[in-house]
Formats: sequence, C-alpha cells, structure tokens
Amino acid sequence: MKRLAKKEELCTGCGECEKVCSQAFFKENDREKSCIQVNEEKIKVCNQCGECIAVCPIEAIYRDKNGVVRINKKICTSCFMCVGFCPELAMMMHGDMLEPFKCIACGQCAKACPTQAIFISEEV
Amino acid sequence: MIKLNNRDYECQDGITVEELMKLNNFTYARIIVYLNGEVVLPENYASTTIHHGDDVKAIHLMAGG
Amino acid sequence: MNMEKINLARKLIKEYHYDLKAIDKGYTGRTLYVNVGSHDIKEKSVTQLIKDKFIGGKGFGLYYLWQAVTESTRWNDPENEIVISSGPVGGITQYPGSGKSLVVTLSPLTDMPMDSNAGGYFGPYLKFSGFDALELQGKADKDVIIFINGVKGTISIEEVPNEDIDTHIFGEQLTELYADNEEDKRNIAVISTGTAARHTNIGLLNFTFYDVRRKGTRLKQAGRGGIGTVFRDKHIKAVVIKVAGVKGNENHPVDKLTLNKIGIKMHKEIHDLDNSQNRMRQIGTANIIEVMDQYDLLPTHNYKFGAHKDTYKISSRVFTAKVTQNSPDGCWFGCSLACAKAADHFELKTGPYKGEKVSIDGPEYENAAGLGSNLGIFDPDAILELNFYCDTYGLDTISFATMTAFVMECYENGILNKERTGGLELTFGNIEAAFELIHQMSRGEGFGKIVGMGIRKMKEYFVKEYGADPKFLSDIGMEQKGLEFSEYLPKESLAQQGGYGLTNKGPQHDEAWLIFMDMVNNQIPTFEDKAEALHYYPMFRTWFGLVGFCKLPWNDIAPANNKFTDEPAKIPEHVQNYVDVYNAVTGMSIDKHELIRQSERVYNFQRLFNIRMGYGKRIHDKIPYRAMGPVTMEEYESRQERYDRQLVEHLGYDPANKTTEEKMKVLREYRLDQYEKLTDAVYKRRGWTMDGVPTAEKLQELGMDLPELLEVVKKHV
Repeated sequence: MKRLAKKEELCTGCGECEKVCSQAFFKENDREKSCIQVNEEKIKVCNQCGECIAVCPIEAIYRDKNGVVRINKKICTSCFMCVGFCPELAMMMHGDMLEPFKCIACGQCAKACPTQAIFISEEV
Repeated sequence: MIKLNNRDYECQDGITVEELMKLNNFTYARIIVYLNGEVVLPENYASTTIHHGDDVKAIHLMAGG
Repeated sequence: MNMEKINLARKLIKEYHYDLKAIDKGYTGRTLYVNVGSHDIKEKSVTQLIKDKFIGGKGFGLYYLWQAVTESTRWNDPENEIVISSGPVGGITQYPGSGKSLVVTLSPLTDMPMDSNAGGYFGPYLKFSGFDALELQGKADKDVIIFINGVKGTISIEEVPNEDIDTHIFGEQLTELYADNEEDKRNIAVISTGTAARHTNIGLLNFTFYDVRRKGTRLKQAGRGGIGTVFRDKHIKAVVIKVAGVKGNENHPVDKLTLNKIGIKMHKEIHDLDNSQNRMRQIGTANIIEVMDQYDLLPTHNYKFGAHKDTYKISSRVFTAKVTQNSPDGCWFGCSLACAKAADHFELKTGPYKGEKVSIDGPEYENAAGLGSNLGIFDPDAILELNFYCDTYGLDTISFATMTAFVMECYENGILNKERTGGLELTFGNIEAAFELIHQMSRGEGFGKIVGMGIRKMKEYFVKEYGADPKFLSDIGMEQKGLEFSEYLPKESLAQQGGYGLTNKGPQHDEAWLIFMDMVNNQIPTFEDKAEALHYYPMFRTWFGLVGFCKLPWNDIAPANNKFTDEPAKIPEHVQNYVDVYNAVTGMSIDKHELIRQSERVYNFQRLFNIRMGYGKRIHDKIPYRAMGPVTMEEYESRQERYDRQLVEHLGYDPANKTTEEKMKVLREYRLDQYEKLTDAVYKRRGWTMDGVPTAEKLQELGMDLPELLEVVKKHV
C-alpha cells in the first residue's frame, strides 16, 4: 500500500511541503489548499487507512490499484461526512472547492522536504 | 433527606452519586447530574458523595423520536 | 405484474414542457400544480409574501391546501390536494438530516389538514427539478403515473393498468423503468403506496429511494393520517422524479463555506460521541425500547401498562443483532446520524410473499413498541415482519398498531368475539391473528376492513352494531381528533398529555416530547412551566418541517459541553447551528427568536385551518382517559402504591379502607381537572381564547393578520 509516511521528530516546520502540494494541485501557494498541513511540527496527512470509504454514503471514495484512497469527484455530493469522520483529520475542505480533497501519495512534497521527515512508503 | 429533582428524597448520608443513580434505576445513557448546581462528571460518580440537605438533579436528556 | 407489462401498457396522456432553472438561495420561486382529473398542469410563482409567512415545507402545504378547499371539502372530494414540499434548506448535503419532505392533505381519519414528514430523496429532487412544492389535485378515471423529468424539463401523465402493487416490488420496478442505467438509479425518487391503502383509512405514502451501497431500493414513509388513502382515491399510482445528479451546491446558498464548517462540526460530533450517547448509527431510534420499559413508559396491552417482563426479548440489543451492520444508513446524502436501519435477507413466514427473502427497513422505536409490547407481542421476527407488511401494503405502522391494540382489548372484554371478528382470536400476544388482520387489510376482506376504518369509526360501529358501552370505548380507544396515538405512555406526565392533546394534527409526539422533563426530571412543575414548554417545543419542532430538516440530529446527539449550558434540554449549540445554516442558505438574518415566530405563524394558521374545517377547538383537544390515568381496576391495582401515594400527596385523601373503585373515581376527577387547568395555561401562553381560538391580536403581533384568517377568527370568537 502506497502512502506518505512521516517521522515527525525530523520535521522543522518549514512549510515547504504545503507550498509544493498546493502548487501541484491548485497552482497557487496557499497552505489552506494543501493536502498536508504542518502545525508545530505535527504533520497532518492521510495515512490511507480507508475509514472514509465505509463512511461515504454513495461510494464516491475508493482505493485504487496502488492502495491509495481516492475521491471520485463526479459522484461526490459534498456532504463532508468523510471530513468529520477522518481519524487523522486529514480529509480537507476549502471553501473554493466543492468537494473534499486529500493526499494521494504523489510524493512531490517528500521530494521537497529538506529533512526527509516525510517519505513515500510501500509498507503496509 | 436530600432533594432529588426538586422532590424530597430519603437516603443515607454519604451515599455516592453512582449509588443514588442505581437506587433510582436511572439507566438512560444521557443524564446530567448536578450537585448543588454544579455538574458532576460521570467519571466522578463513584467518588462524589451526597450529604443531608444537598440538592441533586439528575436531568435526563431525552425528547423522543 | 412485471415491469415489461407496465411498460407496454403505459399510455402517455399528457406531456408538459417547462424551463429548467437554477435554485436561488434555497428556493426555485416556482411550484407545480398537477390535476390528475382534468390533466391540467401549471406552474405557479412563489411570491415574497408566501415565502415570508409560510417559509416552505408544511407551511407551503397548508397554504396551497387552504386555497384549494372550502369548509365543506372532504378528504375524498376531487378538490382535496396532496401537497409535497421540502423547504428552503431541504436538499443541502452538508448538515445531517436535511432532506425531509412534508406532505399535507385533508385526512380521511381527522377530516382536517394532516401533515406528515418523510425522508428519502423526493422533496430535494422535486426542488432540483425546479419546484418548491407539488400540488396534486383532482381524481383520475384510471390509474396514472406522474413523471417529472428534471433532466429534460418535462412532466408527463401516463395511464397504467388498474392494479394494486405492493411497494417493495413497485418502487424497485419504477426505479428500474425510469433510470437510464445502474449508475442513474440514485437519481430516481418515487412516491407510491401499497395494496391496503385502497381498503383502509390509514394508507401511507412510501418514499422509495435507491441505496447505492445496498444496490437496492429502500423505503421511508409519510405515515400518519391516511395520506396514502387519499393518493389511491385519486387513482395516482406513483409520482416519479428524475434528476441529473446531486452536488453540494444545488440550493445555491449564499454562504457555502459556513454550511461546510457547521456540517463538518456536526459530523465530527456524531463521530466522536454517538457511540456513548444514543447509538443512532448502530440501531437508530430503537435504542430506547428498554429505556422506556425501565421508566414504565413502554405502551403495553393497549397502553394499560408501561412495562412488561418480556421486554428483554425485544430490546434494542436483540434488534442490533438482526440489523445489517456493515454500513450505517442515512435516508438523505450527508446524514451522518444514519438512523435508517435495515435487516437484509429476512425470510418471510406469512402472507403472499411467504418464503421470499427481503430487506426490511427498521425497526424504528415506534414499530417495536407499537407492533410489539402494545400488542403483547415479544417476538422480534414477528415485529420485523409486521413492519415489513405495514410498509409494503402501505399501512401506517403507528395507527395499525394502536388500533389492533384497541380491538385486542375489546376482544378480551367480550365486546368482540370470534363470530364478530370472522374467526380471529384477537387476544394480546396472538401473532397469528395480527398477521391475518394485516393480510385482510391488503385484500380488503373481513374484519380487517372494519379495523382499517380507524378507532374513531370503530367505536361508533361497535356501539351501533354490538351495543358496546360508548364510555368504556372512549376511555380505551387511543385516538384523538380521529388520529391514533403514537407509542408512548403519557399517564404519569401531565405535560405529555398536553404534548399529545394540545396539538394541531392529533396525538403524535412530533410537537412535544416532555415525559422525562416533566415526570422524571421534574423541571416544569407548575402549570405555567408546562405551558411554556408546550409553547416553545411545539414551535421549535414545527420549524424543522418548514425548512426541510429532520428532528433527530437536534437532540439525539449533543455536544460534549452541552451539560454546562443554561438550558441543556434545548441543546443551545444545535439551535444556533440551525439558525446559522438557515441564514447561510437563504441569506436571511434570523435569530433563535425569529425562528420561533416563523413557526408560530404557520402553527396558528394550521390551528385556524382546523377551526375553519369545523374542528380545532377546546372540545377537540380532550384526550381519552387511558392516556391520563387507570381506566380499569387491573391498571390501578398494578400500580397501586403509586396511585395511593398520589392521592395522599396531591389530594390529602386517605386511601386506607377504600375500594379500588372509590380511589379510581377520586384520582380520575383530579387528573381530568389537572388537564383542564393545563389547557387553560397553554391556551393563554399561545395567545388563544379559552376555547382554543387564536385571537386577532395574536395574529397581528405575529404579522399573520391575513384577511382570510381574521374572517375565521371573527366567526369563532
């Protein structure tokens, strides 16, 4: 299962990951639009546990072939139950977007992280 | 004698909140207990004692389907 | 009848085209009128006055029904309408419980406006198709299906063969018929009823919706007051709506971010706390079965008692094991409280579908109490199966339960016997007899037809045909205004007697549920306290039905810090959520006080509507004594210690050396007098005369001094 893993003790809170993520997804630099968020060296990001898959009433959330949890925006009704029920508080909402958004373990932030506090892991 | 939900109620001095709830068969999951106007949290039911003259309220939060 | 046959036999008799348009701040600004007799189809625009005074939902239903009928219109006249509307907030997906539909019609049971609410997708889809409300009027010669195509902007009336079909089959067939493919099924909503609606006065309206995860149709019901009976009488077989899809901004709210934030806060609250509070996600409203029993409130043997030694056999834990648990079920998108339970692969043991495996919705608390303890039935499978047949036949479970309890007591008292029931041995606990009764209602045969008239008409019938004692029947027949009581025992709570009796549509607890607040908590000891509660709660709860909300997420979950608030029973944070959500959708800026006034306008309108129809006054607010105290010696003696103590405490009456009859008489006089005093206090608080008529001053104060209302007031004050 592919996921973004973390070693919080290495995090310096520089915020590079947030910049890269919001740039990659939304073409702007806005940490509120980042799928990874760092507060006082606490890294909030999806661990692909998949609890949201069972919560979604219309099966808009699924696990892809790499084990990454994804949202099918076409059928999502923007109820945000997945946001309220996420144990990691890592399902995100932003007023500019109709649907919730989340980390898909693309690894861009890991490449940008100066301390390797985040990295792509294939372990279960 | 104490007041329980604004009614006179006879019980032993020093009874705990937990015992009082049991005696009254207050089994509902959502009850707020006030002892002399202060909320008693469920984790303190066993250690909180009630004495003569105390005013106890066990407010069941239920309002039907 | 299979789908192919229906499809082949369908005959288009009218098609109407309309312009699709976006919703603005929760309103389309337009309603749809369909006359199934004349095939007239019209669009009506919603004026600012209608929005200001009636808000939506039940308010719209009552407004349009008022315009459609006169004082002399009866439920089965073509003029009678069925009006369905959700409300301005209805159809948002962010806040739990935001997809309700309110249905209003003149009831065959009460001869007055009835309102009943249902979950499912219909109300929101109606709005997404372009209409704030749907008026159905007239009477068709042959059965028709109305199809509202919100994708293309067409409305059609289609003739179909005259044949009754039960809902669990028909709802699914129609969903298949009108969906383009499997993916599209979620975009279909159907309302229809079942075979028993034609033969009884307690027919309900089923709201069929497609459950994506179960890959099957599910049902929710506008159960109360015989709306399905009116539907069938109009020869409407179904109304089907199709939409293009559901997104989170269909309502075009003014402030979507606020909706998102409040919704997420609620989802999180439910995620964190539901397990330790009411377990709604696990078992739904049935969580209270054993609680009601423990507090002597579970109606047992036609409301004689409040508990039974066998209740453990039908406790919520028993049903939890029977209900499919892999997915908490909502009835509208985004409802995280998810109380809509279902038992899958249930094998039926009786009736026309015997041996088939079906999905059974429920049980709700009402069903378990009504079909269970109140009938003396403590078999969970029997309760589930009765629940299934009520739903698919189109019978209101509450009325079915309460009237079956009534005939069981009549049977045990010799008012009925095997000869009169056509061989049914209607003793409490006789499961077989209960099933035979329900199947008779579907077939329109035998004693089932008589019971299906409802308790009010049965009482007249038993007096006339069997010489029964009218006083005893009016004591034990748990109906008021013609509607059967819902399933709580109000004997020991005066406030709840008012909560049942001093209502608009009849004894349904959707206006006020004050038993614990009154009886156990003793928070409202004086008449004025009770009257205040019987003002605030009915008004607050009326509001849900104006805007499209469900009541359950208001107080079947509470924030962790609720216990530290001034008025925990009101759940102040949730009240503020509702105010904020309403404002965020509509762009209005109401506060919690204006919320109450919005309800008061509609509530008083409904009261005057009742009065206009010849009811709605003090005399109609009286309740049977079974709801107030012990009717029989058996009841008194079963709780003798309690009643004796009350005689001493409240009346200074010494029960020693008195017969049970003597004590019952004294207690009865006292309790009847208490109810009258409560009535005085409540009327005063609500701004009504002592005969229960809203005053002109009250209407002025509310900005509800509409000429047609003042005219009714003038006639009756």
